[in-house]
Amino acid sequence: MNETVCVSGVELLMDYLDGVLPEDVKAALDAHVAGCQRCAAFVASYLATPRILRDATDASLPAEVEESLKAFLRARTNAFRS
Amino acid sequence: MVPTEEPSDETLVARAAAGDDFAFETIVARYQARVFRLACRLTSETDAPDVLQETFLQVYRHLSSFRGESQFRTWLYRIASNAALMHRRASTRRRAEPLDVFLPRFDSQGRHAGTPAELQVASHADELLDRQFLADKTREIIVQLPDAYRDAFVLRDLEEMSTEEVASTLGVTAATVRQRVHRARLILRGYLSDLVGVKP
Repeated sequence: MNETVCVSGVELLMDYLDGVLPEDVKAALDAHVAGCQRCAAFVASYLATPRILRDATDASLPAEVEESLKAFLRARTNAFRS
Repeated sequence: MVPTEEPSDETLVARAAAGDDFAFETIVARYQARVFRLACRLTSETDAPDVLQETFLQVYRHLSSFRGESQFRTWLYRIASNAALMHRRASTRRRAEPLDVFLPRFDSQGRHAGTPAELQVASHADELLDRQFLADKTREIIVQLPDAYRDAFVLRDLEEMSTEEVASTLGVTAATVRQRVHRARLILRGYLSDLVGVKP
């Protein structure tokens, strides 16, 4: 595989990272990424994306929402009576 | 003192289904924060409290239908995802421009169009952008993803479920999950790059 396959490498990237590609295809991609700075940079940003979004969208349960949930379930179920 | 072992989810569900309301309360206490976070990611912080309430009401009503064929968490997240979908249909504003503008660009030979520095910049979005700005913008773009991409991406990459668990939750194959998560990652990676001021 040579520098001209960046586009096909991107198409296969998720399967590559999930380890579901046939061994020969994986080896060809390994060889391509090792010699392609653009693909190495792209893979780094592709891998960082979930972490950045996970951190940015983290949310804690506010105490008032927890209380509202209890009140809601108390009104509609037999739970949270005591 | 011998430590008390926490009852499993499945044990609690069986007790709750048999009328033990304390068991149901324990399930709620165990999962309410996680369901709230999931609801925020699938809808918005405004809609999340309603999704949270609807989810646990549906859980309570359907306790006896949980057969234990899947993990409780998978079953719970399926209910939460469906509740979120109902809220999204009612309130989501659709984006005017297509999300394809955030997909990677290639030259006529199929090589990446950007330089290595440009291609990598999305990796540093959290260092280059204001934290609150990034939080607002990422929530905004996630709710604008097509439903199928968003659900798969949020469950797999943000809630860190396995591909197989996501497949079971959404009722699709693992290959379909991978394809949807991949498409979402490509769009979101490009979006982060765009936020920093660099073309994807």
